[in-house]
Amino acid sequence: MGFNIIFNSTGIINFAQGEFCMFGGLFTFTFAVTLGLPLPLAIILAIVATALIGGLMERSIVYPLRNASIITAIIATVGASILFKSLGRLFWPKEAYKVPEFSSGNINIPGATVSRQFLWVLGLTVVSVLLVYLFFNHTRAGKAMRACSINRQAASLVGINVSRMSLYSFMLAAALGGVAGLVNAPFASYSIGLFLGIKGFTAAVVGGLGNTFGAVTGGLVLGLLEELIPGFLTVVLGVSTGYKDAVAAILLITVLLLRPQGLLGKGVAEKV
Amino acid sequence: MNDKATGNKISAWKTTAWWVGLVRRNRTLLVFILFMAVLPLWAERLSKPLDIPILLTMRLVGVFAIAAVGLNLLTGYAGQVSLGQGAFFGIGAYTSALLTVKAGFPVWLGILAAIVIAGLFGLLVAPVLRLKGHYLAMATLGLGIIVFVFMREMTWLTGGNDGVRNIPSLALPGIGIGEMKEYMRAEYYFIWTIAIIVLALCANLVRSRIGRALQALHQSEVAAEAMGVNVAGQKIRVFVLSAAMGGLAGGIYAHLQGYIDPNMFFITLSISLVTMVVIGGMESIWGAVAGAAVITFLPKFVEAIPKWVGDAPKWLERYSNYEGIVFGLILILTMVFMPAGITRGLSDMVRYRRSPFVNPFRKKVVE
Repeated sequence: MGFNIIFNSTGIINFAQGEFCMFGGLFTFTFAVTLGLPLPLAIILAIVATALIGGLMERSIVYPLRNASIITAIIATVGASILFKSLGRLFWPKEAYKVPEFSSGNINIPGATVSRQFLWVLGLTVVSVLLVYLFFNHTRAGKAMRACSINRQAASLVGINVSRMSLYSFMLAAALGGVAGLVNAPFASYSIGLFLGIKGFTAAVVGGLGNTFGAVTGGLVLGLLEELIPGFLTVVLGVSTGYKDAVAAILLITVLLLRPQGLLGKGVAEKV
Repeated sequence: MNDKATGNKISAWKTTAWWVGLVRRNRTLLVFILFMAVLPLWAERLSKPLDIPILLTMRLVGVFAIAAVGLNLLTGYAGQVSLGQGAFFGIGAYTSALLTVKAGFPVWLGILAAIVIAGLFGLLVAPVLRLKGHYLAMATLGLGIIVFVFMREMTWLTGGNDGVRNIPSLALPGIGIGEMKEYMRAEYYFIWTIAIIVLALCANLVRSRIGRALQALHQSEVAAEAMGVNVAGQKIRVFVLSAAMGGLAGGIYAHLQGYIDPNMFFITLSISLVTMVVIGGMESIWGAVAGAAVITFLPKFVEAIPKWVGDAPKWLERYSNYEGIVFGLILILTMVFMPAGITRGLSDMVRYRRSPFVNPFRKKVVE
């Protein structure tokens, strides 16, 4: 979803999106464990801190490159991703950090056992989707951002500050990445940002770029496929589950070639 | 010597003019060949005090330069952003390694096969070229991941994470493996001979009709099509060519290292190849070579710096990962201040140094 927001308003694919997730998790750890703050406060601080990093990145890297070619922008965000990861290693030298779970234990539903943490993940996802939806459809800033994504020149003509919208969208995307990172924190930590990046992009493309709900649907589809296909592979074909990592990439290419507008997206006529 | 058209004897003057023309058109290439030929003489003397194995690294630069120039034809000249060059590099490396280790092929045949197989794979995945811009970049990145996963998981063929060991080295006539220094120098000359041939061919290609067609479709596919350029066909051809060059580089690389495993060909390799092209300068054969040199030497420099300082401060040594910080910063700064790459950026700086009107740092790149 963060991908979608940035892509919409700036036309840039941000390869450092995965690192925002990393920062989200690591900041939560620092605030909650090292500084001993209560968890809700730590979470809010972590989100704010990640958003600040996103804003900083936009001002220092993306804004100067607003007129540059696609590949220049890609390389710059890749550079940011490498830089962020190294900085992460520098300040948090251990490989994995255990962030306390929001609430431990499992809940027994007839037929299945669900960990409370999973419910939190689900809940936070729903809440953030709802918030983003409300933001984009019912606030001035959100509508302005959507205007920028449709046509930047026209948006600036009606008096929208396009560059500020770009800044906001980076901060928003970083904050969302932070949320994703911190809900994941107890389960996993340091993951390869690029891998996460392609997964996020796949989710966005599968759902249709420029469609907030599409990204969520895409994420769900991708998550399900990633769990189902390896099972299918092992049971039916008897091959190793290591192929799981290729699922996202194969799905991405297939969707791009066969249905480039995404599963939910509307067809777009291209202007020559 | 007779002129074909007229049957007259070509005057000595004409022959001389032809030679002068050839030299003038290729003067960069000639200077470069001279430079590379004498490099080993001083490189060995400089390596010790600098603590950087220059000749050793230069061999790798040659390999990456081949792959990067191939990528530059596709990305720089034709404007098709690919983040999957590492996949072809890996396929080339595995093809040659497996053929020589498991099937007992001679090395030169293995490398030839690497070129062919990588090219064929390029042809196979060419449909992704229908995509544009970001979508193409992400699809090729996806390709890189798929190839990586298959290299890792097809254990019966590739050995999985254990990789392929005991790959025969580039058997060069006359020099035994025992004489390390001579052998290394021979490898250096061998690799750079191939690299320079490839570079010269590419330099010619971009000046030819095909090269102009590629640049035209970079500017506007519709306009190129209208001028009679077979856009789809040219794109596929240059994609296959760049894949084959990636395969060639990969094949040489496998024999140079003697050992390969899938992690060497992860998407980070693709990214660093793209970085070489962009840092060095798009639409420039020499830029890709410069980029390959910068990116390959950078880690060695960063490694060597603490040794220069003598007893380096503890904090510098403890953070083994500060290479990433330097690397990331250089990428960002280059992109922000010299979006046209180092070669163009530096020459612009020299050119506009005195000009009160044009500040190279503010110069915009026209898409």
